[in-house]
Amino acid sequence: MTLHVEAGEIVSLIGANGAGKTTLLNVISGVHPSWEGSRVFNEVETRGWKPEKLVAQGIVQVPEAEKVFTPLSVLENLELGAYLRRLGRAVLQQEMEKVFAVFPILRERKIQPAGTLSGGERQMLALGKALMARPKMIMPDEPSLGLAPTIVSEIFRIIRSLNEQGTTILLVEQNAKETLRISHRAYVLDTGRIVLTGTGEDLLSNEEVKRAFLGKDYHGKWER
Amino acid sequence: MPIFNPAVETMDRKALLELQNERLQIVVNQAYSNVDFYRRKFDEAGLSPDDIKTLEDLKRIPFTTRKDLMENYPYGMFAVPLRDVVRLQFPLGLYGNPIVIGYTRKDLEVWRELVARIMAGIGITEHDIIQVAFNYGLFLGAIRFNQGAELIGAAVVPASIAPAEVQLRIMKDFRSTVLASTPSFAVHILEFMQKRGVDPRSLSLKIGLFGAEPWPEEVHRFIEDNWGIKAYDIYGVMELVEPGVAGECTAQAGLHIFEDHFLPEVIDPASGNPLDSGKSGELVLTTLTTNAYPLLRYRTSDVTALHPERCSCGRTLARMDRVLERADKMITVRGINVFPEKIQEVLGSFRGVGPGYLTSVSKKKGMNDQLKLEIETSAEIISAGEEKREALRDALHQALRRAIGLRVEVELKGHSA
Repeated sequence: MTLHVEAGEIVSLIGANGAGKTTLLNVISGVHPSWEGSRVFNEVETRGWKPEKLVAQGIVQVPEAEKVFTPLSVLENLELGAYLRRLGRAVLQQEMEKVFAVFPILRERKIQPAGTLSGGERQMLALGKALMARPKMIMPDEPSLGLAPTIVSEIFRIIRSLNEQGTTILLVEQNAKETLRISHRAYVLDTGRIVLTGTGEDLLSNEEVKRAFLGKDYHGKWER
Repeated sequence: MPIFNPAVETMDRKALLELQNERLQIVVNQAYSNVDFYRRKFDEAGLSPDDIKTLEDLKRIPFTTRKDLMENYPYGMFAVPLRDVVRLQFPLGLYGNPIVIGYTRKDLEVWRELVARIMAGIGITEHDIIQVAFNYGLFLGAIRFNQGAELIGAAVVPASIAPAEVQLRIMKDFRSTVLASTPSFAVHILEFMQKRGVDPRSLSLKIGLFGAEPWPEEVHRFIEDNWGIKAYDIYGVMELVEPGVAGECTAQAGLHIFEDHFLPEVIDPASGNPLDSGKSGELVLTTLTTNAYPLLRYRTSDVTALHPERCSCGRTLARMDRVLERADKMITVRGINVFPEKIQEVLGSFRGVGPGYLTSVSKKKGMNDQLKLEIETSAEIISAGEEKREALRDALHQALRRAIGLRVEVELKGHSA
């Protein structure tokens, strides 16, 4: 696969289950053990770098499964997000205030264990945690999974707002419609291969995307 | 200099190559999974789409030729279901082995933009009036000029191939500033004006946009000097988009290829080996964004050379030399392409005729070019009565006209000893 993300963009990877989206994110964040090819960040080849080094560079993945540490409180989860930055008490407080400004509900629940939060709140916590690392680029993996439609809209609204404030977003999703609406560009994955690319707008009106993801009729590809 | 899509046309070359790399992977994946012909070709070569990782791997892909398109008529090369196709074109007519090309809505939008890029690049703006004197019936790209002009806001007069007198009247009355036609038709109009004693420079014409046939430097000089206009070349490939693959800019130093949509290579036609830039050979094109009809390494039979160095107009898109000859034996008469295969097909269907034949095109430039065929004929027919020969000539004349769309002069000759 070959793809690129430019600073300030929202780029999404859409595709069905098993298409390889999470694997790709894991390669980018350094978590995937072995792969061939090149990963260039700001013109620097980062092949072989450990995940911590990539996080220090500002690449932060927001993983899908077990998004947050459920026994720990909201506050403790957020602290962990900033762990690599080794912040003093005061600065840590400031950074947490910034996150609470984006996700006011987290302030209300700050001493509660993360396990007591609703699905949507946990997703917000996961994002908040990522923000604590002061990322240049965050990579949310299926942020809408298992969430009610109104919450999904809220999450996407927040993602877009984070982008407007300067964070680059590489988003992996099955929910193509909401994702393409906020994306500058997107890639469509199908069993490990990139099969389409274009602007969010282009892909929303693309026939194949409509058929595969947006619920239009699907008669199969060859009708000759 | 005006550039229609500066983000793309002046893109940093490194970024352009990365864009091409991304798009190549997609077109290869699409072709492999959606087009039986390409799946077979890849499987036969022991190749998988995953083997094509970078532009360097392009040369591992086998070529596609017009014969492949003919063999997969009608829909074997289509990569999308028919209900996504909004345009079907058959550039070679339907006699013998035709080919059909399909376009989706998005493909047509892209095509329109490419023509607009060419127009903008040579200085056409909303203040211009473009007289399109291509044959709207036969030349499938003619209508693209209308659409490209619409994007820019220029006015179009679809004059088609009305006689020179009418063309001149339009130029005078409507004050056309741009003429789009074949170069030979432009010369024909010019000669008509000279005969009538009309000073071409008294007209409002500033720009000429010529294509659909090769035109040597003398013709270029003739038009520019006698008419006082700037004459620009446009290039297209009927199996892809015609015109719209490439166009000259005001620097007149070659035609910029729209590399975000077409990946060009130049190969040695005999061996198929890719040649370095600057070397002359056969142009091979890979479509990077075509939805309906993706073509991988399509051999165009056009001879050219590529120059990736930056142009003085500011564009970073590679330039190709004007195409003056072909690697196959196609000839162009009055803007219409005539393929030897078509002639052979017709001859093959008559007993005692061919296969040898000689073509000659009358030297006179302009609309009165005549194609003449001297066809080897069996002794039996040569010695038959004049009536029989006349009838055969007529039948051949009809069949050739149906096959290639041109009135052809036919002469029957005995086999050389």
